[in-house]
Amino acid sequence: MAITVWSELIEKFQNGLTQSIEFLAERDVENIPGAKERLVEKFTQLRNFLPRNNGELLITMINNSIQSKLFPNTTNHTIAFNQILNARTLEQDSIISELIDGFISSQGKTLFGGTNRRILDNLVEAFKKRRDFKIVDHQFYAMFGDPNKPRKYVQERLDKIADFLGLEVENLHVEQDVRDGKPKNYRFYSFPEEITQILEGKYIEVQDNGEKVITEDFDKMVFISYFLATQSINRKNLDKYAINGICAIFSLILLLSFMPKLEVDETNPINRDEHFNPQTMSIIPKSWLTKGILGELMTPLVQIVAYRVGGINWLDKILLTDKKINLHLQAQFLLKDVNKWVLGNMCRVEIPIFVEISNIFSEIILGAEGGNE
Amino acid sequence: MVRESWMEIYPYYQNYIQNMRPLFEQSNRFMQDILPEDLEDKTKITEYLTEEEKRSVGKVKAISEFSAMYRRDIFTRIWDCVEDLRSTTDLEEIRDIVIDDFEDSIEFLDFLSTITSPEQFNYESTPLFLIVQYIQEQIFPRRNSLQEVYDHLIEKSVEYYETQRHLLMPTSSYREKDESFESPALSPLLFKIINEITSLFNLDPNFLESPKDETIEIPVVLKDEVFLPFIDSVANNELINLQQILKRMELQLIHDIFIGPTMNLIRVGEPHNYFSREKISDSKERIKPQLSNETLVLIYLAKLSYKRGFISKELINWISSIFSLLIYNASLLTFVSEENIFYTIFTDLKTEEKILPYMMKLICFDKYLGIDRTKIRDSVQYRKEIFSSIGSQIQSMKKLIVEISKYITSIIEE
Repeated sequence: MAITVWSELIEKFQNGLTQSIEFLAERDVENIPGAKERLVEKFTQLRNFLPRNNGELLITMINNSIQSKLFPNTTNHTIAFNQILNARTLEQDSIISELIDGFISSQGKTLFGGTNRRILDNLVEAFKKRRDFKIVDHQFYAMFGDPNKPRKYVQERLDKIADFLGLEVENLHVEQDVRDGKPKNYRFYSFPEEITQILEGKYIEVQDNGEKVITEDFDKMVFISYFLATQSINRKNLDKYAINGICAIFSLILLLSFMPKLEVDETNPINRDEHFNPQTMSIIPKSWLTKGILGELMTPLVQIVAYRVGGINWLDKILLTDKKINLHLQAQFLLKDVNKWVLGNMCRVEIPIFVEISNIFSEIILGAEGGNE
Repeated sequence: MVRESWMEIYPYYQNYIQNMRPLFEQSNRFMQDILPEDLEDKTKITEYLTEEEKRSVGKVKAISEFSAMYRRDIFTRIWDCVEDLRSTTDLEEIRDIVIDDFEDSIEFLDFLSTITSPEQFNYESTPLFLIVQYIQEQIFPRRNSLQEVYDHLIEKSVEYYETQRHLLMPTSSYREKDESFESPALSPLLFKIINEITSLFNLDPNFLESPKDETIEIPVVLKDEVFLPFIDSVANNELINLQQILKRMELQLIHDIFIGPTMNLIRVGEPHNYFSREKISDSKERIKPQLSNETLVLIYLAKLSYKRGFISKELINWISSIFSLLIYNASLLTFVSEENIFYTIFTDLKTEEKILPYMMKLICFDKYLGIDRTKIRDSVQYRKEIFSSIGSQIQSMKKLIVEISKYITSIIEE
């Protein structure tokens, strides 16, 4: 059963590639000489290699690159968090942020979105304030609480976010507080010990006297990565909106990585634009991103990603109505900090994940061609 | 809202600095007088603190409590430093380190206190005026025409685009009415809409005869294609809002169906290659769009910068807080290194929230940012909210702080 589903998905994607190649052949709008031929060549190669070794190419790309860097396939929270943290770069942070946006109407939005989106900045500030890598409810209230609302309100929010993220809560009862001599209850919030150990070094410095001070690198992305790690280990329980959002972004990453690197003529105005850096960027002609091409590729790829990342459970939740397919296509407008428009040209910034997927592609194809010889 | 004068705000700004400076001076003197070996004896410090905290009857309670709190803060750091270093460093050397750190901190407070003058008319040679001008040049320029503002923003965007964009996107969550004639901040949703319009213009433009000039065809995109992912249907209220949103980016709604650039946008964008012309017949030219990520975001900012009287309350608070944070952090960088044991006192929210709100008001005056200072919120809660976003600093802002710090050094050397 599983083999049949997988083969069908590969076949669908192959058909999408065939239609895209035909679409490309019919159109003649390319303003970069040789661009069309390069894309046709790449798509043809991809189409030919897709079914080999039971779809090894896509499996390796999704498992070794996307899952290991952004959505680890493990049930261990610590391992998942560690993998995401290690893959962090400035650009990859933007991808992770957009993945969070993918959690439309899920719990992520109520906690991190809308009017509450500064809570993560507040948590960072609260950790910065202390030297034991803990947040205390009283201090948090003094720093960020609304004086017109009771402390209970802040406490409830902290409890909720602690529960959601998996932070540990510790209660401390003091018979006589040093400030006013009255009995007081304190609540401390902190990461579990094994997570703290991962953060030591780059994000937390442990002083000789045992104090833990957070470093400049400790930012809200640490929480977001932690949140993503939680989602990745609980992937079976995600709702369909989150699943569709995540799969659309992963598919876009794959598609962008499939696109060959182009070099443009020295006289092209883009070379004179200071926002374009030929060392770190490559042009993706806009004709490659038209609906005629993406429309045929996105939906089967979204299904492939869903199947590989979440199995049949996720695949069933991919919405295939016209409206939803249009929403998948909206993915072309995502990752705007990673793919920049420069003078009408889409420029892919060569971040590690694109380079890595592209390398997997070359390695497998070269390996297979070598084998054939 | 009360329109406070310079003479009224200035003492508030000075108040906190003038209370802090003597604390650092006195503590420094204590350190200079103390024998190095006494540094190991915590009772000496405790005795000194107890003596200093005795409040004279004539002293205002709030001030003495404030002083006691900060003095304890200062000595906690000294004690921590002694504990950290005493196994590896000679006590006399530790004392010298602390004294050096005191001197740097006092210099920083002195700079903050002399950054501007009590009289408004003496502004031209004051560091505050010069620094505000410097920052404005990078991210919020003042010029005589929209074209000049836009040109300048684009020139500076290579280095500071992220900061320019940050200036438009407050992290606070106050809702603003969109029907108002004032320009609000860019919400994350509006930012997505801008991205979408940019992408659609580049990917799939249609062309239509310009309503203003029949010799040219302008690029247009379908209104529904842009907005329908965000709203279910466009009714009358939404239409009014859409028109407002588009106007702020020099875009226009044509026949209620298409979105196209105004002639103004084409005129200011052409020198930057955002539009090119193609002859399609003897009497007609086609304007082809080739927009960049910053094209529409910076026209939004340029319009705000050019017409500063029409900035919304939320955005005024945000812009002035960014400016004052930049000034404060760059001054701190100039005088106090991160290794300074008192550094964290100055980056503490409780210090910042007492200095920055008044600096925010001072820099709103006409000769500085020239925005409406009566809209600066006085609520403590709001200050907490606005300054708590310091945690999410962005890379290009750090770079700007370094550049401002270099500029401050050049002002001092002059």
